[in-house]
This record gives sequence, structure tokens and C-alpha cells, in this order.
Amino acid sequence: MRTLLGASLKMVLRDKQAIFWALAFPMIFLGVFRLFSFGNAETTDVILVADTRTQAGAALSEALGRVDFLKVRLEPGMTEADALNELTADHADVALLLMPSTTPGQPARAELIDAIGDPVGSAVATAAIRSVVDGTNLALTGVPRAIELTARSASVERTTYFQFLAPGIIGMGLMTFATISLAGSLSRYREEGVLRRIRATPLPPWRFFSSVLGAHILVSLMQVIVLAIVAQLLGGRVFNGGIWLILVAVYGTVIFLNIGVIIAGRVHGRGAVEGAANAITMPMMFLSGSFFPVSSLPAAVQPIVALLPLTHMLNAMRALALDHESILEQWPELLIMTAWVVGTLLLARWSFQYRDV
Amino acid sequence: MPSETADSLHGDAVIAARDLVKRYGTLTALDGPSFTVAQGEIFGILGPNGAGKTTLVEILEGLTPVTSGTASVLGIEVTERPQDVKARIGVQLQASSYHQYLTLREILELFGSFYPRRADPIELLRRVHLADRADSRMRTLSGGMKQRFSIVAALVNEPEVVFFDEPTAGLDPDARRDLWEIVRSVRASGATVVLTTHYMEEAEALCDHVAFMNQGRMVAFDTPQGLIRRLDAPYRLTLTTARPLAEADVRGIPSALDIVQEQTADGFVVRLRAQTAPSVATALTTLAASAGTEVIDLAVQPGTLEDVFLAVTGRGLNG
Repeated sequence: MRTLLGASLKMVLRDKQAIFWALAFPMIFLGVFRLFSFGNAETTDVILVADTRTQAGAALSEALGRVDFLKVRLEPGMTEADALNELTADHADVALLLMPSTTPGQPARAELIDAIGDPVGSAVATAAIRSVVDGTNLALTGVPRAIELTARSASVERTTYFQFLAPGIIGMGLMTFATISLAGSLSRYREEGVLRRIRATPLPPWRFFSSVLGAHILVSLMQVIVLAIVAQLLGGRVFNGGIWLILVAVYGTVIFLNIGVIIAGRVHGRGAVEGAANAITMPMMFLSGSFFPVSSLPAAVQPIVALLPLTHMLNAMRALALDHESILEQWPELLIMTAWVVGTLLLARWSFQYRDV
Repeated sequence: MPSETADSLHGDAVIAARDLVKRYGTLTALDGPSFTVAQGEIFGILGPNGAGKTTLVEILEGLTPVTSGTASVLGIEVTERPQDVKARIGVQLQASSYHQYLTLREILELFGSFYPRRADPIELLRRVHLADRADSRMRTLSGGMKQRFSIVAALVNEPEVVFFDEPTAGLDPDARRDLWEIVRSVRASGATVVLTTHYMEEAEALCDHVAFMNQGRMVAFDTPQGLIRRLDAPYRLTLTTARPLAEADVRGIPSALDIVQEQTADGFVVRLRAQTAPSVATALTTLAASAGTEVIDLAVQPGTLEDVFLAVTGRGLNG
């Protein structure tokens, strides 16, 4: 059995196309979505045009520097026109120009130019800078404060889009690899006559099938671990799901492997097999919330969404990774997945007639 | 030619088939052959494409279920216990291949793991001059190499009966002769060999017994020489003379058949077929002497399985 499993494993790992579907394809998605992702909105780039040799300039520069989400670039000699150019070129989000008072006794004038498209982001950034300027004013004039405000964060974890997305991409990668690779290799085995040759040996059919399925499950396990590490490094929170997330993912993969067997059994011809595998996995990818929450899909498709196995696999993975839920709380999802595992297994047995090859 | 079954053969038969019928829908692929194969012989199944050769061997191999009839291999009913038969036979299939991404050594180890008894992969590869390709992947082999490999892959379990289905199809003459040696060595090691082929010289060179199939029936069964002897006129005689012989004289030779007289660049040629060679050859040279012409050449060719083939199928090969 070990020789057989080893051979099946080598057949998968040496198939460059299979490995592409298993690893490169989902990694490309992770990478592309990470590039789009909205990481830049988390800090605001500020150009500060001020002479830090003046008391006001030095105080303002120092106070702005203490705000974590502001990234301050000090440009003492920059003109207003140059600052505008910098904003237009998207090298910075906000410019604060401090002009020294021309006559003694008059206050220095400051001008805030903001180039943030997003209205909320713009309001937050300008309000923050305003309060820094106000604070600096008070400090410099020495007026005692009536109210001293301290603020702290409520330590609420906000899920970023990428963190939401990562389990979706991992699930998608597992599904496409399982279905496309297994359907493809089984139909190749059949068409090249490999299955027929194996059938001429005393090897019982169940041992052949368990070795092929076992090899794919092992590769899926490796796949989910690699993808989880990549997703985590890119800023995901997959590790929160722990070992259960991996096990849920591999369990769900069994469904897609069974679907691969069904396709290979019912569809003949290699091109047709790949087409059928794509026709099943592609819509599922979108309908099961790999990329967007399923709640954003139209009401008309919701009944379908609720039936699909990938939906429940992703729900469980996200609940484990993002919502700190326990595996026991996932029982409804696991129940539906189990129904799929059993149903597709029976259908696979019926679909793939080993004795006809 | 009368058809004959081999039921009369001795009792230590390793294969016994009786009234095998295989139908696919309305098509009858196999129409009732019965025969036995004795321990340690090389048994050839011959016939044109579509005659039912492959169907017949695949039934014996336990790959194809029968519509009716019985077959036993090594005393085991194939239809009842195909797995037990499979464990003790070796099989080379016509339309099959091996795992593209595995090396030759890996494939032989893999197939060996399916059997209780297994041969050493490198030793096997050496037998077909593929030992230096042990670590090459299957997909890098040429057509001839794949064919040679499929032969030794059938020997991985040191089988007691080996089935070769068209083992030399598509090989060049050198490689074909190499394979004949392998087939002989398999037999020498004590195994019984069943092979299908449509090369008549191959069957003549290798087989102890041959069965001719045509349209699902077994139309002839004997040793190659026995079949040739039973032809109506197995010998071909060709006489070349400087001057022509009288047509009436040639037709007067007893037992001469299919007489053709023609003029060629070599001289005047008489071709005919005969039941026995010596008397007809004597009659021809006597005719030439009495006509006073010089005999340039006299050739006598014995009958071949090809003649048997034409006689039993009524058509040419691949026809």
C-alpha cells in the first residue's frame, strides 16, 4: 500500500499542471488582492512645509510626528505650488503649510490642503491635524486647559478585506485543485490505458481509488498549509483558525475530490473533462463567497448559495479564523458538509465504472 | 480446411476454454471457440483484425466477462475467481500504457507490489536492454522502448502463464527477433505463453500450436507444420527455361494446381502449386529435357502459415 500511495503521490507532484492549480493559481490571487488592498488608507502622508527653527514650526512638527497614522515629511523650503504638485502626483495625501507671521504680534498662518478622495478618510485626517494644530496653539500660548481629554482604543479587531478574503482564496484553491486535477488524472489514466493495465493485476479497485484519493488529500493538506502561511505573511489572520481550520479545509476537499471522480466517470475526452470541471468550480467560486460576502449576492441566488458545499466550508473557516468561534459552534456547517461528503461519495461510486475501463 | 478443437490434447492443460461466446449488443465478437493449452507451450492465436483475438485473450485474463461458456486458467475458473487468476498470470495488453510521470524502475516496483511474488526490476529491464533507462520517466521512451517495457512489465510477478497481445506490432525486424528470444526465454523458465499476432512468420518461428480465428470463430487449430501439411497444395514450384514448354504438357502433370506460364526477363517461367514437391519437380525437368530446352532455374518453396491463413480466411492479411 505504501508503494502504491507513494506512486500516486509522485504522479501528482510531478504533474506541473496539477501543482500550478494547487499552489500558483491561489497564490496569484492572494498576491493580486494584496496589491489592491487598501493598506495605504491606513496611514496618511503629510507634507509639512514649515521652518523648524521657529518655535511654532518645531512644536507643530513634533506634535504631528506623535500621531501614529500620520507619516510626516518635512519640506521646509517647498512652495505652495510644489506642494500642490506633490499632492496631484499622489506622493502625499495632505499638505500643511505654515507661514511665519510677517508682522510681530500677529499669529502665524497655516493652510491645510487635503487631497484624500474618500470623504470619511479626508474628514478624519483633517480633524486630526486640526486638533494637533489647536493643541500646539494652546501649548505655545500657555493657556490652561479646561478639559484634558485622553483617548484609548477599545481594542476592537477590525477585519480587513484581505483578512476576509484569505480563507476564501484558500478554499477556492483547494476546490479547483481537487476537482480539476483528480478528474483530469483519472480520465488520463483511463484514456491512456493505465487503468486497464492496472485492472489486469490482482489489485482490488478500492485500493487503487483510495491511493489516488489519499495522494490528493495529502497534497491538499500540504497546499492548505503553504497557502495559510503565505496568506498570514501577507497580513491575513488565518492562523487564528488553528489546526481546525486546516482540518475543515481538508474535509471539504474530500467533497471536491468526489466531484472530480464523478466528472471523470461521466464525461469522456480530456478537453471535455477539464471543461466540465471548470463549469462546476467557476460558478461555485463566485456563489460561495470566495471573494465577496455572500450577503452581497442577489436574493434570487441565495437558495443556491445556501446549498453549495464551498459556502459552508468557507463559513466555517472564516468563523474559526476571524470570529474566534470554536469548532463545536460550526456543527451546522459540518453537518451540511458531511451530507455532501456522503452524497458525492455514493454518486462517485456509481459514476465511475472501474470494470468498464 | 476442417476445423479442429484441441480437446484431444493431454490432461495437464493450463488453459481450457469451452464454447466461449461474447456479444456486445447485436455484435458477436466471439462465437464459441473451445481449446486447451498445454503446460509449457507457446500458443499462438492468429487471424485478421477484428477476428476476436483480443476479446479471447482478455476473457482468459479476467478482464472481459463472457456472455456464455467457461474458461479456466491454471485450474481456476476465470469467470468466478478472476482475481486469483490475475495473481498468477502476466499480461501485456495491446492498448494500454503506464504512468507517464513515473520512472521504469518505479513502475516495476509499483506493479510488483500488487503481487505476492516479484522479480527484480533491474534484472527485468536488463532482459530488454532497458537497464540504462531505469531512472527515465515513461514519457521519455520511444515507441519501441515502450513496447519492450510492456513485455517485461508482464513478467514482474514471475507468472506461470503469460499473455502477449501483439507483442511485436510496430517493431523493426531486429527488435522483433530480440523479442522472440525473450518469449522463448520465458517459456524456457517454465511458463506457458499465449500470444496473438498477425505476423505469420512470427507464429511459425515461435509457436508450438496455433489457432486461427476468423469472425469470432476458431477456424483451424494444430501445430504450424500440421496446418501447412494439411493444405491442398502447400508447395510452390517455379521453373525457368530458355524456350517455352507446351501448355498442354504442363497441364498434364498430375496434381499440379494454379498453373501460370509467362515470359520474363529471365526466360520462360512456369509457376504452379503442388501437393508433393519431388514428383512434380521431376515431371517438370523431364518435360524440359524432352522439349530440348535448357533449365535456367528450378525453385521449390514449402508452404507457410500465410498460405494457411489465406486458405482459412479466404482473403489476404489486413484485408
